[in-house]
Amino acid sequence: MEQAGRRRRRGHTRRRLGWLSLVAALLGIVAVAIMWRPALAPIAAAPRFEPGLVERGARVAALGTCAACHTVDPARPFAGGFPIETPFGTVYSTNITPDARTGIGGWSEEAFTRAMREGVSRDGHLLYPAFPYNHYARLEQDDVRALYAYFMTRPPLDAPARKNEMTFPFGLRPLVGFWNILYLSDEPVRPDPKQSAEWNRGAYVADALAHCSACHTPRTRLGGPDDKRFFDGGEAEDWYVPALNAKSPSPLPWSRDHLAAYLRTGIAPGHAAAGGPMQGVVENLRQADPADVEALATYIHGYLAQAPARDTPARRPGSLPPPKPDDPDLARMQLGHQVYVNACARCHDAGRTESSGTALQLQQAVALYDPDPRSLIHLVRDGIAPPDGEPARWMPGFGAILTDEQTVALAAYLRRYGAGQPVWPELEKQVRKGKQ
Amino acid sequence: MNYELQVNGKRHRVDTDADTPLLYVLRDDLQLNGAKFGCGLGQCGACTVMLDGAPVMSCIVPVSVVGARPVRTVEGLGTVDKPGVLQQAFIDEQAAQCGYCIAGMIMRAQALLDKHPSPTDEQIRSHMMPNLCRCGTHMRILRAVRRAANTFSRQPAGGRS
Repeated sequence: MEQAGRRRRRGHTRRRLGWLSLVAALLGIVAVAIMWRPALAPIAAAPRFEPGLVERGARVAALGTCAACHTVDPARPFAGGFPIETPFGTVYSTNITPDARTGIGGWSEEAFTRAMREGVSRDGHLLYPAFPYNHYARLEQDDVRALYAYFMTRPPLDAPARKNEMTFPFGLRPLVGFWNILYLSDEPVRPDPKQSAEWNRGAYVADALAHCSACHTPRTRLGGPDDKRFFDGGEAEDWYVPALNAKSPSPLPWSRDHLAAYLRTGIAPGHAAAGGPMQGVVENLRQADPADVEALATYIHGYLAQAPARDTPARRPGSLPPPKPDDPDLARMQLGHQVYVNACARCHDAGRTESSGTALQLQQAVALYDPDPRSLIHLVRDGIAPPDGEPARWMPGFGAILTDEQTVALAAYLRRYGAGQPVWPELEKQVRKGKQ
Repeated sequence: MNYELQVNGKRHRVDTDADTPLLYVLRDDLQLNGAKFGCGLGQCGACTVMLDGAPVMSCIVPVSVVGARPVRTVEGLGTVDKPGVLQQAFIDEQAAQCGYCIAGMIMRAQALLDKHPSPTDEQIRSHMMPNLCRCGTHMRILRAVRRAANTFSRQPAGGRS
């Protein structure tokens, strides 16, 4: 009896092991299917393209702001090497010139299309979604073809990919396969029949090309777009990226024309100047078809118009006042006011001269109204530098000029007496963090 | 207002307005005329000096924010008779044409070499980017910085100035 029971139990265990290995094998197959993609055969030489297709590709590439990440040195366009900081590590953009060894010279149109739509390199490895293929997945195939023609006709440059610096376990590229299940959808942008043709064109440009929401929508903990909070504001390169909907921090309502001017020049007079990561976007959009940028403005403005009109100090710009004598934080506010008067006022206040250019009176500066102080700190420290060789907006950086204490005091003062809002609780921490 | 400044290792007292640019104080009050007034907007770099080890455009530094932080100007690197390593490298490469930008160029380069005695050519280029030269001696300036870096990296630490 006992022996039989033992035998039965053993048989039971064996059967269970059999089932388990079958399940494991099945899971393995599924996992491989999720994580593995085949290499596609290289091509020996680039095909010939119609000049018209290449020109269209240039316009599509400008709308996709490809150069913002793939060009570091203007003398070496699209050679890659730009570091993109993510919570999972630093990803470097790659060489997308048609160099056979280090670029995409050996890529067929099929391989290029797969990379754009599925985030898979020609040799089969999965690309990190720092490359926004989850947006490009919704491109019309004609646009993909035009991009292929454009990039395959750029001067080839020798520029091997830089090694990414990922934190464990994200160095394991196949894991991206699971991200793709969650966040990759190739469902095309559906036109909204209730909206104008221009708005619908703008929706396509914003979503499938310019990938605005990649930065203007917050991300989930897994690094995917949090679509329930569409355009609620996100971050890029440690800058706060403003919300573009009812949560817009802008102290003045955006008009559609303001927005169109801003997107093409980086400046909306009396309203905003592009800084930080937005500068690269503007630089690209400037080279795009103006009608497409107008469409983009129409579409984005539809969301920005949801922001309620607010009574903010921006409606009464002028000299910023000294702190009130009964301010509970008087010493710090006085220091901030002194820094403002001695360092900032020359361009931003009543003493403005021709050379102040488009410097905003600071009640109008959006960064003062942001939910966190990061963009203001970056602006004070790094200023705004025009792209190489281009006349554009300019502000010198004060990072090496002001001490941490002066920077904190200035930002606190500007927040209180410029925007009329309580000082950000994490201001000091953010200033100290940035200086490392 | 009275301000006490540490410039090239010496203490100075000046009486001036809080928003006076450090550049004016250096030139008008301390007679340190190396740093030049170029654009007055922090765009050209002719006025570059070092503040607490970092290169700054002194035309946009209000004297009131300097405090006890040390200021270093081109006069602090050497003299006509005994030029510093970087100054000698600029002479050897004949890197000046009109010379107006050179004091600023040297101070920006000095800040780099203090931190990275053996910079790559790429580091030199990107570090020197903010400073402009209108004569077009950029290639010689880059060579001079390279030459000084080569000299520094042959020297034992401590002998760098």
